[in-house]
Amino acid sequence: MTAPWHKAIRDVWHERTRTILVILAISLGIAGFSAVMSTYAILTRELDRGYLATNPASATLWTDSIDDNLVAAIKSSTAVSDAEPRRTVRARIRTGPMEWRSLVLFIVKDYGDIRVSTLNRETGAWPPGTGEMLIERDAFQVAKAKIGDTVTIKNSDGDEHTLRVTGGVHDVGQAQARMENAVYGYITLATLAQIGEEPYLDQLKILVARDRYDEAHIRAVVDDVKRVMEKNGHPVRRVEIPEPGKHPHAALTGTLLLIISTFGLFVLFLSGIIATNLLTAMMASQVRQIGVMQAVGGSRLQIARIYLAQSLLLGACAVILAIPAGMWGARAMSLYMAKFLNFDITSFAVPLWVYLLVAAVGMIVPLLCALYPVWHAADISIREALTSYGVSGNKLRTSFFDRALAGIARPQLFAIRNSFRRRTRVLLTIATLAAGGVFFMAALNLRSSMIHTLDGLFAQRKYDLMVQFAELSPTENIERAVRNTRGIARAETWIVSQGSTLFSKKPTASHSVGLHGGATTVDKNSFVIIAMPADTHLMQPEIIAGRALKPGDEDTMVVNSALASRLPLDKPARIQMGPGQPTFRVVGIVREPFSPAVAYIPRAFFDARHPGMANSLRLKLDGTPINQVKSDLEANLRKEGLRPIASMSNGDGRYGFDQHMLMIYIFLIVMSAVIALVGGLGLMTTMSLNVMERRREMGILRAIGATPAVVWLMIVIEGVFIGIVSWIVATVIAAPLSKGVSAVLFMAMMKTRLDSIIEIPGILIWLAISIALGAIASFLPAWHASRSSVREALGYE
Amino acid sequence: MIELRGLTKSYETAAGAFPALRDVTLNVPAGEMVAVVGKSGSGKSTLLNLIGGIDYPTSGNVAIAGTSIHTMPAGKLAAWRGRNIGFVFQFFQLLPTLTVAENVMLPMDFIRKVPARERRPRALTLLNRVGVLDQADKLPAALSGGQQQRVAIARALANEPSVILADEPTGNLDSVTAAAVLELFRQIANGGTTVLVVTHERDLAKIIDRKVELADGRIVENAA
Ligand SMILES: Nc1ncnc2c1ncn2[C@@H]1O[C@H](COP(=O)(O)OP(=O)(O)OP(=O)(O)O)[C@@H](O)[C@H]1O
Ligand SMILES: [Mg+2]
Repeated sequence: MTAPWHKAIRDVWHERTRTILVILAISLGIAGFSAVMSTYAILTRELDRGYLATNPASATLWTDSIDDNLVAAIKSSTAVSDAEPRRTVRARIRTGPMEWRSLVLFIVKDYGDIRVSTLNRETGAWPPGTGEMLIERDAFQVAKAKIGDTVTIKNSDGDEHTLRVTGGVHDVGQAQARMENAVYGYITLATLAQIGEEPYLDQLKILVARDRYDEAHIRAVVDDVKRVMEKNGHPVRRVEIPEPGKHPHAALTGTLLLIISTFGLFVLFLSGIIATNLLTAMMASQVRQIGVMQAVGGSRLQIARIYLAQSLLLGACAVILAIPAGMWGARAMSLYMAKFLNFDITSFAVPLWVYLLVAAVGMIVPLLCALYPVWHAADISIREALTSYGVSGNKLRTSFFDRALAGIARPQLFAIRNSFRRRTRVLLTIATLAAGGVFFMAALNLRSSMIHTLDGLFAQRKYDLMVQFAELSPTENIERAVRNTRGIARAETWIVSQGSTLFSKKPTASHSVGLHGGATTVDKNSFVIIAMPADTHLMQPEIIAGRALKPGDEDTMVVNSALASRLPLDKPARIQMGPGQPTFRVVGIVREPFSPAVAYIPRAFFDARHPGMANSLRLKLDGTPINQVKSDLEANLRKEGLRPIASMSNGDGRYGFDQHMLMIYIFLIVMSAVIALVGGLGLMTTMSLNVMERRREMGILRAIGATPAVVWLMIVIEGVFIGIVSWIVATVIAAPLSKGVSAVLFMAMMKTRLDSIIEIPGILIWLAISIALGAIASFLPAWHASRSSVREALGYE
Repeated sequence: MIELRGLTKSYETAAGAFPALRDVTLNVPAGEMVAVVGKSGSGKSTLLNLIGGIDYPTSGNVAIAGTSIHTMPAGKLAAWRGRNIGFVFQFFQLLPTLTVAENVMLPMDFIRKVPARERRPRALTLLNRVGVLDQADKLPAALSGGQQQRVAIARALANEPSVILADEPTGNLDSVTAAAVLELFRQIANGGTTVLVVTHERDLAKIIDRKVELADGRIVENAA
């Protein structure tokens, strides 16, 4: 090994403190990067693996009732590899003395022979016997039940029955029960009969034989299947074709992964900045040695090679440190996401390409960071190098600060002036710290903005309780039941239906009307239609264009923001609705952030076609406890022979939103904590660099009478000052940035604007954090500096 | 050996061009030991820097062994310097993280004229010649100033340069040590290497071949 290589390695050791800081800074970035990349690799693989392992149905068709002959007839087609009948029944489950939650019952004909959209056994019994129910593993918490419990349920007629919970299953394709605030139960046909429902199966899940991922092919096969079913006397009233081969949450996961990846790259970038800072400082202290090497014949390339080799060495150390940390992070992150998306991870194995990529990035990033400082330093002429005492770049314009800071005591003034001696360094440090602040404040702003926006959405709803009926029912009976119930201030009967902008020649049967609580997935062309009195008192829409419905309207329509792009304002809108294709005129747009597509039409439209009928009841209460009203009303409704299938308070409706919001919020806060940490590390490195470079100066200060406390205070003031400046920068940037970015993203996703809120407490909290970071980051360097003796400091080179 | 013709160097300052060297013409034969003297600010360092190719003249020419050095491109000049010039500085300028022997081997590693396996033996030979062989494997910080300057001289000799340029090599040494260092230069010159040394030492007469005195950037005395 030649002398230049000896130097490369020994310098790294000689400058231990900086070396460790550089390695830490880089490995932090690399760890974040590798965690993100590994999470990406694990999740994309595991999400689809688990989902595809369940043999997900290519399509589901709804008809009246399916018998073995029909299944056999469908299966005999060569295009269909498998077909299985199922059914989904909406019911309710008691979760408290007067508390009922949504229960979705899945009926499987033969638990011993599930071949399409299979269920994974988790715990307890399998299969469920008669009178027994299995519960989706994530739904136990929602059901407030455990294996062995007997639970009370209400069927679609409102009759109460009991079932025993005997086991848990994992239904991979199902949205997380906690987010939906619903319980998924799995029972047999015999149990279905026992709880007072007609024991038939009405859904057919089919699996196409080939080209499973070709949606056009699936559509063609479904059309054939439909024809066969209809020839056999089974009209098909609904078809659902999920995106083939994709987990229902694949898109959501993709978005989350994208956000996380961006974040990972951002952290990598920040740590790169810190590393550049450190390497620049290391190079600055090498200026004279570089000059000497040039004088004794070293070429620019030869000298640059020494320092680039050093940074490669640092990169290698950083990679070795970062990979285990990154893998640990990936594990935690994958587990968290898997739990949120309700799927299992069978292997945390990370493909080789991730390791290679991380290693490459780990080596290249410090190299890139070093490139500028190294090339620049190697370029300094010998004469400059030999006359430089390592305090170059010291051109300080003091007049501005002096004037701005008039009246501040001299040591403090000195401290503040000091912080701007290495301008690039301090600017980069401020930028990193400010980035953390921007993230933090933006997260708080986003949270308040979303909550405020959500409040606005719910404020439009002037009703407290909504009751949904199984079918169109006489309003006369509904109103009588309402009159007999105490605690209701106002009631209106509405009609909730479904429409589509996609026209099918074959009309779909009208008895699907009213079966949408919003939970079932429907294809992207459909939307909810709500018919309400034009002069409703229970809805106060926030009209952003056009007008609201008004008495006398009949064929008019107000669409919400999610639907506005498909059914534009002031245009006639022909839609598929039940068997017909009526045309409406869109007169207004109502702002409904977070809401799926909804069209509001006047009740008069239905009154002309189904006079005296409704399937939805909206109630304003007079302050009586909601559960009290709920149970009284239900009893009265049943006395009238009505079949309420769901009653939901506004609080129930908000639950899912709040859960999602909480998750986004936690995510943002964790991100800003990580960035603040990186920023703190950056500040710490800057402060220790400043102190190291000013050892001689500190010695002079001590020699002319400064006490250790004064030296210590000066450095801490410098750190705090940088912290405060970064806070100002962050505050100035955060508000418009969070407003702009969230507005753009929100507009893209929700098709309406977000109410922008600036969280003042967030600004103050970040000020406290900035000051604390400044003080903490400068504490150690300051302590070191104040302890060094005069002689030591003056002798230091 | 060294031929300077009409050498002028002006520095750009806030107050306008400042001439540090004015029309310097000088010939130094090979193997001579030359003392460059003069008051502070008279242009001694500037002169040495121009001869060593560290700095560029405003006008005039520097030829060493017949080569006009400032017409070479920068990269080539650096390589040429490594082969032909040995520098010795006032503050020794040894690399702190390399041992004494490694400091001497460094120029050989850069220039690669000496085969790799002969570098350490050659370094030890040079250290022996300047009298600090016993310090070979120590770090520079463990050496006294005089010892460090001897190592720096050994390093300057590493690639057998034809010219040694020493800017105040004795400035940081006591007079006894300084005399020993100058004696070392005398021996080097006796070996055929041209030595230019800037010094404030007195009693140089016995030891040097020529004295060049500068004042305000001009040669005011050139006595062999
Ligand atoms: N980079 C520069 N820019 C402007 N003027 C310079 C520069 N370098 C040197 N000078 C000026 O040129 C003149 C000659 O400087 P030089 O360093 O050659 O003097 P010197 O004889 O070596 O002095 P000393 O004995 O103090 O080392 C001085 O007046 C000096 O101020
Ligand atoms: Mg000088």
